[in-house]
Amino acid sequence: MAEHALAAAPAARAPRRETPGAAWMLGALALAFALLAPGFLSSQNLVNIANQSAILLMIALPMTLIIMTEGLDLSAGSVLTLCSVVLAAMLVRTGGSIGLSLPASLAVGVAFGVVNGLLVARAGVPPFVATLGTLGAAQGLALVVTDGQSIVGLGESLGPLYTGTVAGLPVPLLFALASWAALHGLLYHTRFGTYVFALGGNRDALRFAGVRVERCLVWVYVLGGAMSGLAALLLTARMNAGHPTSAIGMEFDAIAAVAVGGTSFERGNGWLFGTVLGVFAIGVLRNGLNLMAIPSSVQVAAIGVLVIVALLIDGFGRKR
Amino acid sequence: MSAAAVAVEPTRDGALASPPLLELEGIVKTFPGVRALDGVSFAIRPGEIHMLLGENGAGKSSLMKVLCGVYRADEGRFRHLGREVTIRGPADARALGIAVIFQEFSLVPYLDIAQNVFLGREPRGRLPGTVDRAAMHREARRLLDTLGLDLDTRTPVHRLGVAQQQMVEIAKALSQQARVLVLDEPTAALSDRESERLFAAIARLKAEGVAMVYISHRMAEVFELGDRITVLRDGRHVGSFLRGETTPESLVSLMVGRKVDMAYSREYCTAPGEVALEVRGLNAGERVQDVSLTVRAGEIVGLCGLVGSGRTEVVRAIFGADPVTGGEVRVFGRPRTGGPDDAARLGVALIPESRKTEGLALIRSVGDNLVMSALQGALGSRWFSPAAALRLSREQIDALRIATPGPGQRVQLLSGGNQQKVVIGKWLAAKARLFIFDEPTRGIDVGAKAEIFALIDGLVKAGAAVLMISSEQSEIVKVCDRAYVMRGGRIVGELGRDRLTEENIVGLGMHDG
Repeated sequence: MAEHALAAAPAARAPRRETPGAAWMLGALALAFALLAPGFLSSQNLVNIANQSAILLMIALPMTLIIMTEGLDLSAGSVLTLCSVVLAAMLVRTGGSIGLSLPASLAVGVAFGVVNGLLVARAGVPPFVATLGTLGAAQGLALVVTDGQSIVGLGESLGPLYTGTVAGLPVPLLFALASWAALHGLLYHTRFGTYVFALGGNRDALRFAGVRVERCLVWVYVLGGAMSGLAALLLTARMNAGHPTSAIGMEFDAIAAVAVGGTSFERGNGWLFGTVLGVFAIGVLRNGLNLMAIPSSVQVAAIGVLVIVALLIDGFGRKR
Repeated sequence: MSAAAVAVEPTRDGALASPPLLELEGIVKTFPGVRALDGVSFAIRPGEIHMLLGENGAGKSSLMKVLCGVYRADEGRFRHLGREVTIRGPADARALGIAVIFQEFSLVPYLDIAQNVFLGREPRGRLPGTVDRAAMHREARRLLDTLGLDLDTRTPVHRLGVAQQQMVEIAKALSQQARVLVLDEPTAALSDRESERLFAAIARLKAEGVAMVYISHRMAEVFELGDRITVLRDGRHVGSFLRGETTPESLVSLMVGRKVDMAYSREYCTAPGEVALEVRGLNAGERVQDVSLTVRAGEIVGLCGLVGSGRTEVVRAIFGADPVTGGEVRVFGRPRTGGPDDAARLGVALIPESRKTEGLALIRSVGDNLVMSALQGALGSRWFSPAAALRLSREQIDALRIATPGPGQRVQLLSGGNQQKVVIGKWLAAKARLFIFDEPTRGIDVGAKAEIFALIDGLVKAGAAVLMISSEQSEIVKVCDRAYVMRGGRIVGELGRDRLTEENIVGLGMHDG
């Protein structure tokens, strides 16, 4: 291929992305907090950022794929919460057996993914409405399961998942890396990944190519649900409890990370690594503001500003 | 079948004498109220480029859709290499090696060239679900080489120009073993240089024995590329020729033919008034280049040319609906600088082609629609007065004789002709003085057409100015005082009343250079 690449006309060369807004934002935020926030650069704090970002990353990565299909999953945070309380309840019942509890959490996540997918792909409900409905359902179920209380007494089995290290790397970071590697492989090296691009870019072309478009779209939402089921492991380990509101609203951060990462909401233009940058930009922002003792309500506003600024940077880049 | 078609069975040239790859015989396709194809016969031979000509609505697109299985023919026979076959759907057509390169592309913007070419047919990699990318790029490379396309197969298609995207489409078709390529006005959106590249690729495919059906509106192409030329008119096959057997002039006269006369006449304008619209050197996007025109009060001026020649783009630019990149638009002597709001303030009305999406709020009432544009003018005091609005809409309903139970009726429920009257009334209520019509009679039955034209005549009699786009040359010839003809985004001629004939319009609209 190399000789062809060299011989190619200058009209169009192999793809190269412009440095996206997310990279600038991440750099600028890190620099600002290094100067302003005491203890930001300490190794313990950097590990904290990585650990805190891991859960968000596991939600934001599949969200990228969903958004690439011109979809949206508003239920992600609530489903994660429900998965977490189900996991906690199972741990209590099974005396701390992850082997029995994780499948339950995954099953709940997948079930919500299937429902979301079927509503969007088969019933033709707009993703915004469909996942708004399942958001409510998941939130309500989480309250039912917990009776509004926190589920505690999970035992010691989850502890190492959040605080432990393997080969010197914190376990949540390893989860994040593995999730990214898996979704990268899925998106860029499989037929399914190719179809994700086509679902948003030109669905008719995909249909005329003989691909079962609806089934493909359902799988995208199932992936999102399954990742919520898995991320519940980290979320529950972090608190060592199942709380009925633990990840409510996390879809906001996830969608923001995808947007900051340069994934467009139309035409199937997505960039998975951009989402990684976006997640860390949000992680750094939240962490830095925490260190500066700025209340969390202001943090949400700050994330909103981050999204807008990142998109403006990308917008200017495109016009040039 | 006409006599001309029988006379052309080729005997001279060896390549052309080869047996047909695909034959269509007596194809009939009807839609409610229209006979789109009326016994069309057509043969395609390997390595032959068969040009398909006809005016807008002559049946070219229908024939193409029958060929690729999108439409199912009501009557007629298909033969593939002499054997009778049926085409029931796109899959059948594909199995016969027929591929269509439509004007709207079927590419995925953020996938690369190779991924697009093999979409849905990716070579499988070693692990389940994965793609053998090396093999895919190798094969894509080979296809691009066949077409003489020097591009990296890893380039995402959104970075390609229109011409290159078209080449990718062709590569995609070839990868599916297409032996018959149908090209629908492939050069419509290409620059001259890009067209040359496409022609080079077409020449290579021809040499490999691929048969091509090529729909074109450009005479130069027809004679440069075509081995055989077929003319359609009103869904009928009116003649087939080998390239050397005909001339552009005789093709034009075949295309135009004689149409059913429309009972309509008006007194043409002899003494036009003040200049209502003056456009100088207008540029907008790629489809409007250096357009200058003038419309005076009391005149109906036609803007003609083939579909895609830039007519709609010109009026959209005049109205401020699309950004203007150069030139000047003056309305009653005053420059129009802003968007449609500015145009409307200056008294410009646009009655768009897509009435239902751009002209009306379909689910709102007749009354609401009639006062929509007047809200800033006649009704534009600080407070909206429902009573004044009702009075205004009643006036228009009476004046235009809109057939509706009352102002409260949903516009959706009116007939096409009455909907069009509502659009016109909306602008009358806003006291517009320059009316721009884009295909004013599209989707309107014959009786209502005459009424719409009478209305337009009434407008100019009352001192307004009218600029009118129509694809029906006969309408332009009957209705207009003057007409401009467009081709490729430029005005290529102006026809005064004395020279305003269908032949002249089609001739100007088709000839290159």
